[in-house]
Amino acid sequence: MLADGRLPTGGHTQSAGLEPAVRAGLGADGKQPADVGAYARDRLRTVTRTEAAVAVLARHYANAQAITTEADKPSPAGTSGTEPFVMASRFVQLESAWAARTPSRALRTASRRQGRAYLRLAERVWPDVLQHLPRDSEIARPLVIGAIGAVTGLSPEQVARLVAYDDAQTVIAASLKLLPGDPAVAVTWLAALHDDIERLVNDVAPLTDIDKIPAAGAPLIDQFAEQHAIERMRLFHA
Amino acid sequence: MPTRIEIAADPVRDRCVLITDHLSPRRLPGPPGVVRVALVAAGALLLAGDQVRIEVVVSGPIRLEIVETAGTVAYAMRGSSARWDVAIELSGGASLSWYGEPFVVSADASVTRSTAVHLEPGCTAEIRESLVLGRYGEVGGTLHTQTRAWVGADLLLAEDLDLSPANRTGWAILGQARCLDTVTALGHRLPEAPHTLQLEGCGSIARRLVDQQHESDLGRVSEAAERTPITH
Repeated sequence: MLADGRLPTGGHTQSAGLEPAVRAGLGADGKQPADVGAYARDRLRTVTRTEAAVAVLARHYANAQAITTEADKPSPAGTSGTEPFVMASRFVQLESAWAARTPSRALRTASRRQGRAYLRLAERVWPDVLQHLPRDSEIARPLVIGAIGAVTGLSPEQVARLVAYDDAQTVIAASLKLLPGDPAVAVTWLAALHDDIERLVNDVAPLTDIDKIPAAGAPLIDQFAEQHAIERMRLFHA
Repeated sequence: MPTRIEIAADPVRDRCVLITDHLSPRRLPGPPGVVRVALVAAGALLLAGDQVRIEVVVSGPIRLEIVETAGTVAYAMRGSSARWDVAIELSGGASLSWYGEPFVVSADASVTRSTAVHLEPGCTAEIRESLVLGRYGEVGGTLHTQTRAWVGADLLLAEDLDLSPANRTGWAILGQARCLDTVTALGHRLPEAPHTLQLEGCGSIARRLVDQQHESDLGRVSEAAERTPITH
């Protein structure tokens, strides 16, 4: 269900950076299949790997928090209406670790906006998420996904696969709007990414140490994201 | 033994310890409050098996400017590899400016570069890394970079780049660019500009992806920053 693009979290507004890349020339001269697939693969090796690892750690922390003592728990989720919700320090550190690995402000902003959309949905569907994260706030998307994964009983592999698949599918689905072609062909590009997705899952699912979160950067993705954020005519938010 | 530049501000006379290894630091004349040090290669660089390590330690309210007299070429390594590790520690209000000259990775070279920067709050650093993949008309070798910066105990920046020939040419990494020119400001921000990345913590990255190193205008970023220092 979380991997369904019809989930009302604004997935259709995202191109995973494909739109600015196309604007810069990706897929020009009829090389869409090679370029789009390679772009999704590059993301799986870099920024998506970081995002998946952060989600895996968020799931780990949320599960650990559920069985720790009262002292480690965050303040109650604003039920009294007086005390503001304070995230557990481990979640704050995790978001800092993510931010240090996400140098582009445009990408951090886009992720937090999506995180808020997921959080709003979770508040209605999986309200236990609010035991870990403050209601209706801009939290990096992988933290929210990890927390949802914890309260819905997903394994670390499932959380990592969810992030990886969602990212690859975002690229492929956006390519149909940006570089129109046969949708069935686009699905074959997605299927061809299977091994790359599983490699990512195997690498990040066992992580429990915040310092081991991958930090593989992608300079062009950062640059395109900054450029796209100030573009006047755009189809996708990011 | 690593190459080492150690500067301690002193009201009477700044202390300056320079240790030569693969590179030789030489003191240059500078205005009061500024220590200027040139880094000169002490032998042929950078060859298979070389492990260059440069330590920079500055304490107290003083500015260190490191200048390189020439670029560095990493030569073909025939299956072997080399390392270039930089460790920087700034404390007591120190600042560092290090505008490196081009680092050229020739065909068949394999190099890992790491940069670790520890700043006390109130210190600032501005570092230019100009990475060129291949000499003219050549497909460059393999380069992996690892950058980490902390202000106090807080991680400010973590970035690893896989610039191997198979992985760098996509639309996510470098595309067709041969040169990745970066100025990283830590503990202060570079002025807002369309391609300048503003980090979550106090710091910025200005980057140019160009074909020829001289097409980049980043040599001039520092002058702009000095006119409008931003420290939030």
